[in-house]
Amino acid sequence: MAKHDTPLLDELESGPWPSFVTDIKRQAEVNPDCWDILGQLELSFKDRITHWKHGGIVGVFGYGGGIVGRYSDVPKLFPGVEHFHTVRVNQPASKYYSTENLRALMKLWDKHGSGMTNMHGSTGDIILLGCRTEALEPFFWDLTHDLKQDLGGSGSNLRTPANCLGESRCEWSCYDTEEACHHLTMHYQDEIHRPAFPYKFKFKFSGCPNDCVAALARSDFAVIGNWRDDIQMDQAEVKAYVDGTTIPNGGAHRDGDWGTFDIQKEVIDLCPTECMWMEGDELKIDNSECTRCMHCINVMPKALRPGKEKGASISIGAKAPILDGAQFATLIIPFIKVTKDDEFESVIDVIEEVWDWWMTVGKNRERVGETIMRVGLPTFIKVMGLDPIPQMVKEPRSNPYVFWSEEEVPGGFERDVDAFRKKHAA
Amino acid sequence: MGYDPENPMADRITDIGPPHYSKFHPPVIAKNKGKWLWHEITQAGVMVHKAESGDECWTIRVGAARLISTSLIFEMCDIADAHCDGYLRFTTRNNVEFMVDDKAKVQPLLDDLASRGNKFPVGGTGAGVTNIVHTQGWIHCHTPATDASGVVKAVMDELFDYFVTMKLPAQVRVALACCLNMCGAVHASDIAILGVHRKPPMIDHTRITGVCELPLAIASCPLGAVKPAKAEVDGKEIKTVKVNNDRCMYCGNCYTMCPAMPLADPDGDGIAILVGGKVSNSRTVPKFSKLVIPFLPNTPPRWPETVEAVKNILEVYAKDARKYERVGEWCERIGWEKFFEKTGIPFTIKSVDDYRLAYDTWRTTTQFKYTSHVK
Amino acid sequence: MAMSDQEIKDAILEKALKNKKAQLYVKDFYKCGPDAKARKIKNLANELVTEAKMVFFSSGSTTMYVHADRQRSEEVN
Repeated sequence: MAKHDTPLLDELESGPWPSFVTDIKRQAEVNPDCWDILGQLELSFKDRITHWKHGGIVGVFGYGGGIVGRYSDVPKLFPGVEHFHTVRVNQPASKYYSTENLRALMKLWDKHGSGMTNMHGSTGDIILLGCRTEALEPFFWDLTHDLKQDLGGSGSNLRTPANCLGESRCEWSCYDTEEACHHLTMHYQDEIHRPAFPYKFKFKFSGCPNDCVAALARSDFAVIGNWRDDIQMDQAEVKAYVDGTTIPNGGAHRDGDWGTFDIQKEVIDLCPTECMWMEGDELKIDNSECTRCMHCINVMPKALRPGKEKGASISIGAKAPILDGAQFATLIIPFIKVTKDDEFESVIDVIEEVWDWWMTVGKNRERVGETIMRVGLPTFIKVMGLDPIPQMVKEPRSNPYVFWSEEEVPGGFERDVDAFRKKHAA
Repeated sequence: MGYDPENPMADRITDIGPPHYSKFHPPVIAKNKGKWLWHEITQAGVMVHKAESGDECWTIRVGAARLISTSLIFEMCDIADAHCDGYLRFTTRNNVEFMVDDKAKVQPLLDDLASRGNKFPVGGTGAGVTNIVHTQGWIHCHTPATDASGVVKAVMDELFDYFVTMKLPAQVRVALACCLNMCGAVHASDIAILGVHRKPPMIDHTRITGVCELPLAIASCPLGAVKPAKAEVDGKEIKTVKVNNDRCMYCGNCYTMCPAMPLADPDGDGIAILVGGKVSNSRTVPKFSKLVIPFLPNTPPRWPETVEAVKNILEVYAKDARKYERVGEWCERIGWEKFFEKTGIPFTIKSVDDYRLAYDTWRTTTQFKYTSHVK
Repeated sequence: MAMSDQEIKDAILEKALKNKKAQLYVKDFYKCGPDAKARKIKNLANELVTEAKMVFFSSGSTTMYVHADRQRSEEVN
């Protein structure tokens, strides 16, 4: 029986898309506190403003992350949501679940919290929404003891790493994203659970340049699958696309009226480096010119595949606009092997090089991309001990204001003005 | 056994991390990992992945709200138990994927999903609109400028046909973040719906001493608009802050550091629309979304102005763009002046950048197209 | 002579107790052990939290440290 009238929210129960309002009402039959979620949200719809306030110091003991505190500013009206803290549970890599595990986790959440969730949050965690302060420790105890699971990151911590599903179900993945993600998540448990940095730091792992987990746009440390030899080609399958036997683009345009497939128009002409052509009915690629944008592979997945010498590119410093404006990650390492064989040591070395520098030089609440912007990419390249290569920039600088060090200039910076004056009258 | 509040540190377990993913792979995934050959979308929401072994993994993708209950998740588990050997998966865009290892198992699964009302719409693949990624909004956040779940529901109801079909020129990624902090990172989306504040914070002098570290609040402002000040509370002079309203960009950073500086407002807050971002490296390099509509009002429960704006942009794009062209690629090919002309969106001074790195966006060539903007 | 871990921890606590503002970033403690690496200071500060001598304060996006004796009651409601 509904506890509050919700005429505005009720209007969101119609329409073809699944209704979260209907869903919360269903949950309210299980957990009556959910009526107060609806009640407070209805009030926000009426007032056109939020009714939540700041979190403060809630958390589980010894962890500086994983819980985000939240309180209602109208607790008398809606006592069921007086405390409404968020719990971030570290998701399994790739977000596969057994129903056994998922049911157990949901039962635990029904026991301690509201029963409302986000599957998943933007960073990747399982988000459990709405829990009282006194329920946090018991929930954490049960989570770690009964489910052998743990919280994710928040605050100035390493945030919960995330990956695209990679080799588990994708033919394009150039390294094992889920193993890399899991391994580094385990390796850096301390950094995930306790504040370590000037501000948040995110890892994301994508298997190929399609970047399905948005690593280049959203992570401080993006590992994006790439290859360095030739695109694998099956000419018989190319013919099957050309003669219309195989549907192009993996069937992704199936419902549109786009006419018959035209390899010249749809693949060769759209190649950004113009490195493809037909010779008779054979497709040719000048792989030395290829920038591996994935378009041709996306359009003809049965005929073309990434090469065999696989690894990843590492780009650093992406972030959302707050505060200096949005940044994409900058390519720092064009190609690196990413493998369990060395316990991902090659990647870990790069990560810790970045951290040691950023922890010292970064200002409070400054993402690493902003620190690099502030001190300049040349400084960062030197700090990382890397050779500067043109792959790190779109184009060379167009201003001449280069900083030279004293050692680079013959005779150094100290000069004798008196000697100068002997030859040049003032 | 269980948590003992008298002895909270006894047998405490910490830093164990998530379960190993391999425990949750469906058998066909576990067997063929790293050995997939190709995939095909056989109809909207249904994909087959073919492995070297000859095995097939059929995936049925369904849309879901991001905000879902344990009751609904239990129902998803029932479906996975009945059809998928007890495994399922979530995507980064809040879709749910049910996987089976035989084509014959697809139709019974689709029938089951269809029998459950509108809870499990099948789609979200290929050249369509997949699920909107979004933030919390009024359901849980303390700094939002708009709601999230409500706006998303209203927009997806209107765009539903594009979720269950694949008839657009390319995939269109829609995202919503409920304030400028963009914890939903909508800065690289084809169409971004962004909550914006438009009023500087108020200062609650009576509370500020108790809840704020003034230096942190002052340091939090990216434009130096928050300054130390004095005020009188109950006849006593206290240290507080003042805000230079002309310099405030309404980012809310000060409120995050200092709860005594609330800035949300029913009339001040609303939605901006940004378009043309992309994440993938395919064809063209990743692009940021650009601000084309600076403000639309918050009009719950169904935000008709926002829904109409998104639909208009999508439909003009659908009619005008070439096959494979993402929204941003289309905008760049036709030119932004043509984008504004074709969509009928008024170009305002608010779309001209005056923040950091602004110069990058100004036109420094004589190449342009004549549109109605040139008087 | 390099400071011992305990000396650094004592310096961190002293700073947390006497600093003008109660909420401190991890960076604010770096000077408590001038010769130690930043990650070392971070680990020692976090040890103090485990020992209940300091507590975390989180705004959601950032986390700071507060001396256990300087917690504010209003923040927890």
